[in-house]
Order: sequence, then C-alpha cells, then structure tokens
Amino acid sequence: MQAPVPPSLLRRLAAELAAEARPGLTFMEVCGTHTMAIARAGLRELLPPGLRLVSGPGCPVCVTAMADLDRVIALARMSEITLITFGDLVRVPASRSSLAAERAAGADVRVVYSPHDAVEIAAAEPAREVVFAGVGFETTAPTVAAALMEARQRGLVNFSVLSLHKTMPRPLRALLDLGETPISGFILPGHVSVITGSDCYEFLAREYGVGGVVAGFESHDVLLALLMLVRQREPAIEIEYTRAVRREGNIVAQRLLEHVFEPCAADWRGLGVIAGSGLRLRPEFAGADAAVRFPVEPGPPLEPAGCRCGEVLRGVIDPSDCALFGRRCTPQDPVGACMVSSEGACAARFRYRRLDD
Amino acid sequence: MCLALPMQILAIDAGVATIAAEGLEQRASLTLVPEARVGDHVLVHAGYAISVLSDDEATETLALLAELAAAAEEEADAGAGPA
Repeated sequence: MQAPVPPSLLRRLAAELAAEARPGLTFMEVCGTHTMAIARAGLRELLPPGLRLVSGPGCPVCVTAMADLDRVIALARMSEITLITFGDLVRVPASRSSLAAERAAGADVRVVYSPHDAVEIAAAEPAREVVFAGVGFETTAPTVAAALMEARQRGLVNFSVLSLHKTMPRPLRALLDLGETPISGFILPGHVSVITGSDCYEFLAREYGVGGVVAGFESHDVLLALLMLVRQREPAIEIEYTRAVRREGNIVAQRLLEHVFEPCAADWRGLGVIAGSGLRLRPEFAGADAAVRFPVEPGPPLEPAGCRCGEVLRGVIDPSDCALFGRRCTPQDPVGACMVSSEGACAARFRYRRLDD
Repeated sequence: MCLALPMQILAIDAGVATIAAEGLEQRASLTLVPEARVGDHVLVHAGYAISVLSDDEATETLALLAELAAAAEEEADAGAGPA
C-alpha cells in the first residue's frame, strides 16, 4: 500500500506537465469515476492552459439508451416483479417516467449495493420474481455473473437478470472513427482494466496512433498518467495504476464473464448501436434472462428536448455549453442522464463548479 | 459506478472475506480473487473483491513517482515552492 501523497508532489507533477506538454493537446478520460475524481480534486485548475481534458462515454448510467431505460420501466410496472438495481439508475429520466416515479406510484423497486443482495432477496421472497437490472462495464458485469451463478447453485428460479452491460474498447474505436473531437490520448479506466487488463486497448496505438494510460483514481494517479501521456514518444498503452492492474487483467473474472455472457450489439446514448459492445446472457442461461422471460414492448423512445447529453458523452461539447446546464437541468431536477449520476460529466461539473462559472 | 475501494482482509470463511476499511467491517465475496489471503489488501467493487493490490515497490510507476517526490522535497527544502 502507498503512503499518502504530499501536496508538494502534486505541484511538482503539475509543474512537470506545464514544462513538457506541447500546446493543443486534448486528453479524454473515459471513466466516470475519473470524471468525478478530477472534478472533486479540481485537477483542471492545475493543468497548463494548452492542455484540455474532456470526458468520454464512461458513465454506465449516462450511456444507457433511452429505449433500454424504457424496458426497465416496463418491467418495474409488472405486478409480479421486484425490480432491483444500483442507486444511480433510479432517478434517470426514461421517455415517460423514471424508476423513482414508478416506485412512488407503487412499483416494487429496490436499490442494492451488491448483486449478491438481490440473490438474498430472491431467496427470502420466493413468491416474487426478482429481476436485477444490470448496468455497468467490465468492472461490474463479473459481479452480476457471480450472483447469477450463486442463484443457480441455490436453485433460485425466481432470480433473473436484465443485462444492459457494456464493454469499453469498442466505443473508443467508434469515437475515433467519428473524429469529431481531436483526441491526443486516453486516460483509460482503472477498474475496468483491473478485469480486462490493458492489452485490449493496444489497437488504439497500433491502428489509430493514439496512446493511452490506465490510471488510478487519486489526484497523483491522474496527473502522473497525464505526464506519462505527454512523455510518450510513440503512441503506446501503458499502466500507471500498477498496484491494481496487470496487463492480462483478472483471468478468473474474465472466464466467469465469458461463461455467463456473450457479446451483442448495444445501444449507447450519444453513439448509437455499436456491434459487439454489449453483453447478453448466453442461451444456456435463458431461464435467468429477464429479456427472455419477460419480453416487453415499451413503445418508441422520446429524448428530452434540448438535452445535449449525447454530445457531452462524445466529448464534443463541455457540459457548460448546453443551454439547459445549471438552469433547467440540475442534480435536483435533472433533464438528462449526465446530470443524474454522480459520475455524469454534467453532475460532476455542476457539483464542483467554481463560484465564478 | 466503477468505484472500488481498497480494504484489508481480516478473516476468510468459505470464500467470503471479512474486510476492514477506515474502521468499518464489511463482508466481500472472494469469488473473483480466489488467490486472496488474510492480510492482503483487495479492491472491493459492489460486494466483490476484484483485485489483490500489489505492494511491489519496484514498478516503473512508483520509481517515477519517487523521483518526482524527491525533486519536490528538494524544492521545498530550498524554499522554492509556495508554502
């Protein structure tokens, strides 16, 4: 374990960055937890003027498409279903409702910290159909796979999963293919990479000439990752977060993930449908697949008027460029998903905004 | 959402660890890190340990950080840095 990092080191890192960064660099942090850590620590204030840091499509709740949110709402409305999910999803506006609104209207919607808790609920309430709405990237999907296997081992036939899980590498390719934002390098997600390792990002350097550094979540981690990016002579994929991430990732978690899930097309807010970027349950787990067991047709999705979450998620605009930001759209009364989740670029920017902004 | 916190394993019983972080005791499944042992620091995400933290000081990252820390200290000793 590391000792706490003194403030003098942060200043030193910032000074090195200022000395070595050529102007006009734009780095993207892909992970919502980084977005939050950067905003909370005020790291943008420490960066040299010519170095821009933009947020990408790394907040799982934010990138969940409206049509998928509508499916979750439709499931929550079924009287036999107890809909269980992580807290962030509850307040996200779907086309015509939210899980919070459905809960207020009498739906059985519950929030858990761990997918394992949902298995315990299924065991305790055998008369209820317990559906776990799974959102999240490679960090979270193995925990849902583990919960599903546990439910199966315990013979809990009333436990099922609606998988809205997504995987990280392909949206990065999609962003670079779009080419809307010039990206000089990526701060790659730390806890996704704990599971995946870093080899899955090699294509960024090889095919696109864009480097990346897998970073931890302390202030010094982010600044050091930026310095490593600035110092790259050739585009490369490196790991700053060496205390937690190995190049090969967590093989046990990867095997479990592949045992339960298979790749599928997934719909991303802001990026649209990307082939192979989602995870669905394998056919042998159809009995625990809520998409198979409870098919729903929620109707055409409706996007909120004026919301620019899509552009925020692609790093094309800054949250403050949206006319709704901080006016009609606030964490208390959010219009778009990026203002709901604490890791959304809009919520992070609003919560830690400077008073003169 | 991908938040994971480092915690130390105090005890293990049938693949479930009792863990401590900042004085709080919790339980975490070791399904995803079966190699974890009592005393290890693990990253815990959504009730599951996902990585055993390395205390290997010999990594390049830590070497770079140590070099910068030494430079920062020298600077502070010389009174060059702001207070």
